[in-house]
Amino acid sequence: MFSESTLVFIALGAIFAYSFYAVLVAGQLSLGQAGFASLAAFTGATLAPAPDDVGDLPALLIAIVIGMSVGAVTAVVLGLPTMRLRGVFLAIATLAFAEAVRILIINMEWTGGAQGMSVPKVVEPWMAWAILAIVAYWFWRQGNSRYGRALEAIREDELAARAMGIDVGSHRLSAFVSAGALAGLYGVLWAFFVRLLAPEDFGFAKAIDGLVTAVVGGSTAFFGPPLGSFFLEMVPEVQRAIGIEAGWIRPFLASLLMLLVILFLPGGLASLLPRRSQKLVLASSGDDAGSLTQRVHPAPGETVVQLAGLGKDYGGVHANKDIDLHVTGGEVIGLIGPNGAGKTTLVNMISGLTRPTSGTAEVLGLQPGRAAVHKIAAAGVSRTFQHSKLFARLSALENVMVGGHLVSKPTFLRRLLWLPSARRDEQQAARHAASCLERVGLADKAGNKASALSYGDQRRLEIARALASDPSLLILDEPAAGMNHVEADALSDLIASLASDGLTILLIEHNVGMVMKTCSRIVVLNFGEVIATGTPEEIANNPAVVEAYLGSSESEDAS
Amino acid sequence: MRTNLFTLTAAAGALALTLTACGSDDGGGDGGGDGSLAGEGSGDACVIEGEVPVGAAVSLTGAAGSYGESQRNGLELATTHLNEQEGVTYALTVEDDQTDPKQAISLFEGFVGDGTSIIIGPTLSNTAFQAQPIAQEGEVPVLAISNTAEGITEQGDWIFRDSLTEGQVIPQTVAQSVEAFGLENVVVMYSNDDAFTESGYEVMAESLEGEDITVASTLTFSKADTDFRALLTEAKNAEPDAIFVSGLIEAAIPLVTQARELGLDVPIIGGNGFNNPQLMTDAGDAAEGVVVGAAWNSASDNPENAAFLEAYEAEYDKAPDQFAAQAYAAMTIIDHAVREGCDGGREAIKAGLGNITDLPTVLGSISINENRDAEHDAVVQVVEDGSFAVLN
Repeated sequence: MFSESTLVFIALGAIFAYSFYAVLVAGQLSLGQAGFASLAAFTGATLAPAPDDVGDLPALLIAIVIGMSVGAVTAVVLGLPTMRLRGVFLAIATLAFAEAVRILIINMEWTGGAQGMSVPKVVEPWMAWAILAIVAYWFWRQGNSRYGRALEAIREDELAARAMGIDVGSHRLSAFVSAGALAGLYGVLWAFFVRLLAPEDFGFAKAIDGLVTAVVGGSTAFFGPPLGSFFLEMVPEVQRAIGIEAGWIRPFLASLLMLLVILFLPGGLASLLPRRSQKLVLASSGDDAGSLTQRVHPAPGETVVQLAGLGKDYGGVHANKDIDLHVTGGEVIGLIGPNGAGKTTLVNMISGLTRPTSGTAEVLGLQPGRAAVHKIAAAGVSRTFQHSKLFARLSALENVMVGGHLVSKPTFLRRLLWLPSARRDEQQAARHAASCLERVGLADKAGNKASALSYGDQRRLEIARALASDPSLLILDEPAAGMNHVEADALSDLIASLASDGLTILLIEHNVGMVMKTCSRIVVLNFGEVIATGTPEEIANNPAVVEAYLGSSESEDAS
Repeated sequence: MRTNLFTLTAAAGALALTLTACGSDDGGGDGGGDGSLAGEGSGDACVIEGEVPVGAAVSLTGAAGSYGESQRNGLELATTHLNEQEGVTYALTVEDDQTDPKQAISLFEGFVGDGTSIIIGPTLSNTAFQAQPIAQEGEVPVLAISNTAEGITEQGDWIFRDSLTEGQVIPQTVAQSVEAFGLENVVVMYSNDDAFTESGYEVMAESLEGEDITVASTLTFSKADTDFRALLTEAKNAEPDAIFVSGLIEAAIPLVTQARELGLDVPIIGGNGFNNPQLMTDAGDAAEGVVVGAAWNSASDNPENAAFLEAYEAEYDKAPDQFAAQAYAAMTIIDHAVREGCDGGREAIKAGLGNITDLPTVLGSISINENRDAEHDAVVQVVEDGSFAVLN
């Protein structure tokens, strides 16, 4: 049952599945891997020296280097124009690329056309497994690194990841490039094992095989692809061994089995094994905890936000019109107004998620709408969202660690080399995250999945995550929604203590009592325009505000 | 925990490697089973006590599934007939390679390891280049029954075939058609994404050049295409005397039908891929006059063929195609090789296959030459009144 080829194909299948895993962890669905593999295999097999001249292993290694480079370079070339695409659009674009490669290879002289080219058999099971071990090791170490968490955050919620200061474009591209390199690796290994390299072996079915292997194995745990490959390669072997008659019944049973796995194990076979333990940090020494917060906040009186004539049209509908606002360091600004008044649009423009259609905005020295969202975040803007945008499948602690992306150091490469400094940095990042959780009162829920938290806890987790980037300007979009009075009071106290740390806070809230109590200045929006600005007392007595909230006496008469 | 999982994965890998090591030990010990395969007597009088294990790896499912099905039918029918004779019994195992090189390679390894005396297959030439070297290295004879590409038997001295190459069939088809229709100017069409049709085209182009025929244009299509109207219009504009096509039966049927719809009435000349009774059943009247060069003359009235046609129709309720005929002939050839030395062992079968001369089979009188390729008459057929007739 475990013949030489079965062993090799399990390893190869797992490597190919890893090239899908590499992008699936970042939430991308690419079907172009067969194209990368095919290009890499043909180039590698053509350019590498003959095994008879230089020996089997050197020839294979040279071909692997060539193949992985071809895969990676092709991925960059394909990735630059396609990385803006999402979901099924990316899948279709990459599929089209793979088909184009197949047609190209069929029609090229040097590839031997449909009859393919013959390649010496070099790969032995131990080689395939050694290479698989390296690839698996790579993804194992990637998992708990800052880079790995950033990719997972992009998968869970791209917009939130962006707002946490993650450069989504370059992360997605790097994931795509590693997928290209791995597909290239697979292509070369395949070529040097099966003896005849034919374009038909890199068709649509191959891409689907790889995707299915990754998904059946589990696309969120690094050991998923080998499990998936083992399962899929062994199904036909086992069917033969137990004597199921050859013919349609075997593929039928195999498909049925796969259906059962997907139905009952949506996380893939990997979910049968316990998920990697959450990084519950034993606060071994509090010596350098908190050292990640080093930002010097703008002093009182210094400009944090300066908006002049800012407006946003959605095809004739004015979400915001002529907004002038000046916010200085240490202020706690309350932004209130009826539903649909344009509060969220305004903070989206301030945090750079939405481009203004008129006017100018300057936030911490940058111009949101022109500067990328992650750069605005890097300048010190952090926010929560009106509707929770947590990274649902990550733990509370991991959510906050992603929030700390900007202030923690990259650890992936050092983790690959087991450098102790990487472990130190990871622990420091985790301690920093834990202290943020503690600040919002979620210290005891660090290990819980974000999606398993109660609504109020999710709101608080968002605040902790926003705090983790050590912001100068913190934007809270309805943080008290769904909280009871006690919780809302605790939140007020938290906001006050943050303000005393020197943070500038922009608070959108419907709980007017809380706004009155917490804010130093209040801005009232109605129909996209600022109708009043002033201290809580001034606002409470402003007739325009009262009218906006309660309706004017005239309209009451009319009704 | 993390470390444990990694260790677990590594351990699984190590375990699997150990198991292969054991597997290859088993492979070496197959000689033991050969003892009971040596019999007494020779030829028809040969008696072998044990069953001679014959393994076939063909494509029962996947893209080439329709060919594999015919092959299995041919092999099973032949085995039943042979086992009715006294002396030698064959244990046929038909396995499915799912038109997937991974499965074909695994199957060949399995057959090499389990003491199978001779391996038949696989269905497709490209897969053959991937799987047959395993038998060569394991010193198990292989009889290819449908691989037509050049170079199959060059893979080693354990590889034989009973299927004629394109190089054996197509030049004859071209020469006879040129003579019969007085061709001067032709159009060639082929699907360039299939190894079989592409290599067929190469031989076709070479033969046409050898006959000094002008090729007005060469048009390519994909094996998945079903609409040929644009290409056929282009072909029609070239005003050819005939159209040569290297394609599979799936392409042949719509191509022939659409050509006639477009009023393109010149002869259409195809290769092995067209040699299928489906051409007449599915294309109907449009198939009339289509010329098919083939390795098997379905209309032949030699006694072996007549008996085969009758038995196949009775068993499977449909007419056999070339794949079935070549599969059936393979068992006749193997039986002859076994009985010659009265030994069902690998070495003996290999020796026996080298001595096949003028053996009567459903394909006609067949010999295996020094290159381990089969030699028998190819046939150029023309569709007349809904069935194949020999082109004169």
